[in-house]
Amino acid sequence: MLLSAQNISKAFGSFLAVRGADLAVAEGEIIGLIGPNGAGKSTFFNCLAGDTVPTTGRVLFDGIDVTRASAEAHARAGIGRTFQVPATFEDMTVLENVMVGAFLRHHHRGAARETALRIVEMTGLTRQSAQRARSLGTPGRKRLEIARVLATGPRLMLLDEALAGLTPTELQQAIALVRRIHELGITLVIVEHIMEVIMTLAQRVLVFNQGHVIAHGKPREVVANEAVIEAYLGRGHRRRRREAS
Amino acid sequence: MKWSLPALAALLLFYPFILTGPFYWDIGVAFLLAAISASAWNIVGGYAGQVSVGHSMFFGVGAYTPLLFYHLWGLPPVAGVPAGMLVSLALAVAIGMPTFRLQGHYFSMATIAVAELIRIFVGTWDLVGAAIGLQGPAVGRAWWDLTFRSELPYYYIFLAVLAVVLYTTFEVERSRFGYYLRAIKAGERAARSLGVPVRATKLKALMLSAVFTSVAGSLYSIKTGFIDPESGFGILVSVQMVIVAALGGAATLFGPLIGALLLVPLQTATNTWFGGGGSGLTYILYGGIIVLLARFEPGGMHEWWQHVAPRLMRRSHAA
Ligand SMILES: Nc1ncnc2c1ncn2[C@@H]1O[C@H](COP(=O)(O)OP(=O)(O)OP(=O)(O)O)[C@@H](O)[C@H]1O
Ligand SMILES: [Mg+2]
Repeated sequence: MLLSAQNISKAFGSFLAVRGADLAVAEGEIIGLIGPNGAGKSTFFNCLAGDTVPTTGRVLFDGIDVTRASAEAHARAGIGRTFQVPATFEDMTVLENVMVGAFLRHHHRGAARETALRIVEMTGLTRQSAQRARSLGTPGRKRLEIARVLATGPRLMLLDEALAGLTPTELQQAIALVRRIHELGITLVIVEHIMEVIMTLAQRVLVFNQGHVIAHGKPREVVANEAVIEAYLGRGHRRRRREAS
Repeated sequence: MKWSLPALAALLLFYPFILTGPFYWDIGVAFLLAAISASAWNIVGGYAGQVSVGHSMFFGVGAYTPLLFYHLWGLPPVAGVPAGMLVSLALAVAIGMPTFRLQGHYFSMATIAVAELIRIFVGTWDLVGAAIGLQGPAVGRAWWDLTFRSELPYYYIFLAVLAVVLYTTFEVERSRFGYYLRAIKAGERAARSLGVPVRATKLKALMLSAVFTSVAGSLYSIKTGFIDPESGFGILVSVQMVIVAALGGAATLFGPLIGALLLVPLQTATNTWFGGGGSGLTYILYGGIIVLLARFEPGGMHEWWQHVAPRLMRRSHAA
């Protein structure tokens, strides 16, 4: 297993945002993580990325315990993540944003720049590369987040709703981009509300509700699962989803 | 824009011959000192966005050590400069380790508090002259005491130091370290997620900044031959660095230079018009600048120019 998270819980005061969640990811997989708002998906990601230390449980990456390691150490080990609310460096240009990521594996500016240019091209940001990040819209910023993480040379990428809020054309491009990233040999865990993304990309799906995994399996099995529909999706769910995004 | 750097260098080099006489040379030296201090502050306060309002602690250490070396052992003041740098470095580590856990305003307030504590402590410490302060050699024993009657030699010594500080900043800007500083300023959490060692990078910036600020303090005390708690560790010393950098444009290479170019003549003018001496006036001037910057142009004159310059160009082309 590339990543193995066991019995992860995260408490905020007396409230348990994640309660005993497990996840095992094999190298080369694309795993989808779905669940209603507030199910604890982002919090779970934060535990996996070293952004926060889980209250219970442990995280093994490539066999090494990284539960208490810093976010920087996670990045160095090869776990990259994007933020649900884009956290791009607004006053820096697109290229500079990507270079910050590239500097993780390259100490010299020339080498970092070269890697960054390649990734900017791959992610379709070449035209905007000299613009400040603040000038991009949300879709552009999300793409920039992916580019930045990609530049750190990760083995595992955690994408938190990186494909939300896109037009149908942009969505197709983004799906193609995720495919290309996967072809580079990078393992992916993606949180997404858009079922189309999950159905086309994910090999396995985990359904989160109230902080734990209530179902998992192949995409088709999961969406057809009566228990999931009843207990989690509920009636009118799809309508709420659409309104939210 | 290609000619602007050589033009600036030439202007600074020949300034004492363009505007001659002690009055203008004095302003020139004050300008250089303000530019050096603000450029030093800019590394951590501008690029890394860690707004220290207690940089007088490093300035004061740098200012006291040379005169202390003279006072205690009769050594030439310059001999104390490296010692001042070392103490400032140690102080930077001691201050940075705990305070960099704090975010935003809390960091600023912590630095003010530490600088004030040091000022009060130095004011009661007999070894360093307590409230009276320290004096350098009244008459130079040899050239290495650096007590010149004319302002001119100081002008060129200060100019050389400014060149070193600016060149270092230029190199920092282009390096991984510089990119990391800007990333930290833009968002620590995101920076961390990309593998930026946030606390170590901030600490490195503070150390570099402290060393340069210390040298600025040393230049000041060697030139004036006198230092007391207020002129070394006083809050106005710290605030001036912040204002000069912010006025010109923090986190830019030449921002502190532009800021000093505006502030120092303004300060001299207000002092001569209103009889000088009253530091109350300085407070009012600084306060006014802070309000104006916060209201109209938080990016300083550099940012303002970026907006204005293209329009001016267009107009001149059209005409
Ligand atoms: N720092 C925090 N302090 C307190 N409560 C928090 C904190 N972060 C998240 N929560 C709570 O934890 C729960 C899970 O939030 P989380 O953001 O992980 O959900 P999510 O599944 O990502 O939802 P969404 O689909 O809306 O992104 C929510 O009820 C949220 O309010
Ligand atoms: Mg979320």
